[in-house]
Amino acid sequence: MANVDLKNLTKKYGEVIAVQNMDLSIPHNEFLVLVGPSGCGKSTTLRMIAGLEEITSGEIYIGDQLVNEKDPKDRNVSMVFQNYALYPHMTVEENLGFSLKIAKVDKNEIETRVKEAVQILGLEELQKRKPSQLSGGQRQRVAMGRAIVRRPDAFLFDEPLSNLDAKLRTQMRTEIKKLHQKLKTTIIYVTHDQVEAMTLADRIIIMKDGYIEQIGSPIEVFNKPVNVFVATFIGSPPMNILTCDIISKDQKVKIKIDNEIYLDCPENFKDLFNNKSKVYLGIRAEDLKPVEKNTIDNNDWFFSKEIDLAEPLGTETQLFFHLNGKEIISRMYNPYPVSIGDKINFQIDTSKIHFFDIDTEKTLF
Amino acid sequence: MKKIKKIAFWFLVLFLLILVCMPGIWIFISAFRPNPEILAKPANWIPDRWTIYEFTQMFSISGYVSVPAFKYLMNSVIISSVSTVIAITIGMMGGYAFARYNFKGKNKIFLGLMLARAVPGISLSLPLFILFAKIGIINTSFGVIIVYVAMNVPFTIWLTDGFFRQIPKEMSEVARTDGCTRLQAFWNVELPLAGPGIGAAAIFAFLLSWNEYALASVLTRTVHSKTLPIGMMDYLDEFTINWAGMCAIAVVMIVPAVILTFIVQKHLVSGLTFGGVKG
Repeated sequence: MANVDLKNLTKKYGEVIAVQNMDLSIPHNEFLVLVGPSGCGKSTTLRMIAGLEEITSGEIYIGDQLVNEKDPKDRNVSMVFQNYALYPHMTVEENLGFSLKIAKVDKNEIETRVKEAVQILGLEELQKRKPSQLSGGQRQRVAMGRAIVRRPDAFLFDEPLSNLDAKLRTQMRTEIKKLHQKLKTTIIYVTHDQVEAMTLADRIIIMKDGYIEQIGSPIEVFNKPVNVFVATFIGSPPMNILTCDIISKDQKVKIKIDNEIYLDCPENFKDLFNNKSKVYLGIRAEDLKPVEKNTIDNNDWFFSKEIDLAEPLGTETQLFFHLNGKEIISRMYNPYPVSIGDKINFQIDTSKIHFFDIDTEKTLF
Repeated sequence: MKKIKKIAFWFLVLFLLILVCMPGIWIFISAFRPNPEILAKPANWIPDRWTIYEFTQMFSISGYVSVPAFKYLMNSVIISSVSTVIAITIGMMGGYAFARYNFKGKNKIFLGLMLARAVPGISLSLPLFILFAKIGIINTSFGVIIVYVAMNVPFTIWLTDGFFRQIPKEMSEVARTDGCTRLQAFWNVELPLAGPGIGAAAIFAFLLSWNEYALASVLTRTVHSKTLPIGMMDYLDEFTINWAGMCAIAVVMIVPAVILTFIVQKHLVSGLTFGGVKG
């Protein structure tokens, strides 16, 4: 049982702030994913938890114990690195048993625990091999095995799948998820890949410039992003963000999304637009539905636009067009043949749109 | 046609090899024949008479000692190995520090070490002679060892720094999260990986000490501390040079160095192959 708590954690490199006043409580058995663009402080946070990076101020607790001053070896956490960092001069077996050998664990015990890890990860055939004789996926598995063998309080993963090819990455992602269900331990996982974050996490933390932008379940951060950054970072393709004019006339509020395309403001948003003349509108590509006929109910938006490009992907076709000079993507799930220049009807469910303040970029609720 | 080309190629290789090895071969041949034959004109390539006279003389099998080569050999072995062990130990620690830690003035200190290496050894010989004479360590192995350590440390630091840099720092980090102290991580993971590099640095340091002449010629005066290169000068008399003896002692000098290099070179070559990280 071990929860991990960060209190007011700050890391500075000289004047540069890497992590600023981070408060976070990670309960036992949670799969937490830190995600963000490079340089956002996610890896630094992980390394501070591991004890590999000194903290500037704040406190780190692992299982109710203050570990600020403790060496990495005394924190009982295991880390898996992006480049695997297997010991090249040792066989797979020796790599797995190394931490136990250092801890002077009984030989038979080492053997049982190595065997256990080998079985969990399917490394039976490879035990006697050296890391240089393994493929990327196998090395990654050994690196995970090395972490498992210690039975740590928490696993720390630092972009473990970034070096694998796309197919293997998907496969290993599933394995990590299964592993978590089997081991029931706290996992803190750092990635810059939002798909990994969405598929693996119980809870996602989106970071930018050393600050936490949003914490929530994958569905929460996807459906209710708190600002433009989160909205565009989570989801693929990124959410379409449009600058729109708000036009109030005779008690009616209209939103201008393009030349001569005016849409009625949904009732529930009207009050938010007081005194505002511009606003960001966010629509996910899948919520911008191409339809053949106007089958709208009253709450939906509807407009037509000529498309610039169509990319068929098999299960869907992505349509590209411009609104207010900005490129917009729409996903067509039941593809029918379209060609460039065709005028397509689009339908938007207004319950699925997002508005952001033009100055603060924060969501308007 | 192809075959002729191949044969021509190998003849060229053979010719170049002989060219490079000629001085060495000449020394070997000359060590096993009497002086007049060495001086014969035109040169006599294949000796008429083989002899190990000079070797028996210097190692006193016949009871008469011309030059105390065994003593010189021992001095050389002791001075070279002790100074190498000390230089490589200090160099390894220094190299590790330069490769892994950040500290104030790091680059300047490193540059300073490299500049120290650029000072010609011979220019230090007189100051060292006066200093050593004053504190009473002239003509001792201890004094020579100190000088050789000072000479080799910057070099070994520079070499091992490079080798430690090649080992990803994640290696030691993962070892530390695996339960190692920093020292254990160094001992169990980084040192074995840098082993071949450290071996190479050690060989260079050893050979540098083994072959050093300029400083030793000033700091050693008697059989008590003279090394082989200095001992060689014993064959130089006022009016004559015993070429055969000189070549024989040269052989005594060359053979251990060659053997050592052969033993260690396998490890040097097989060394730095990293499979631990994605390359």
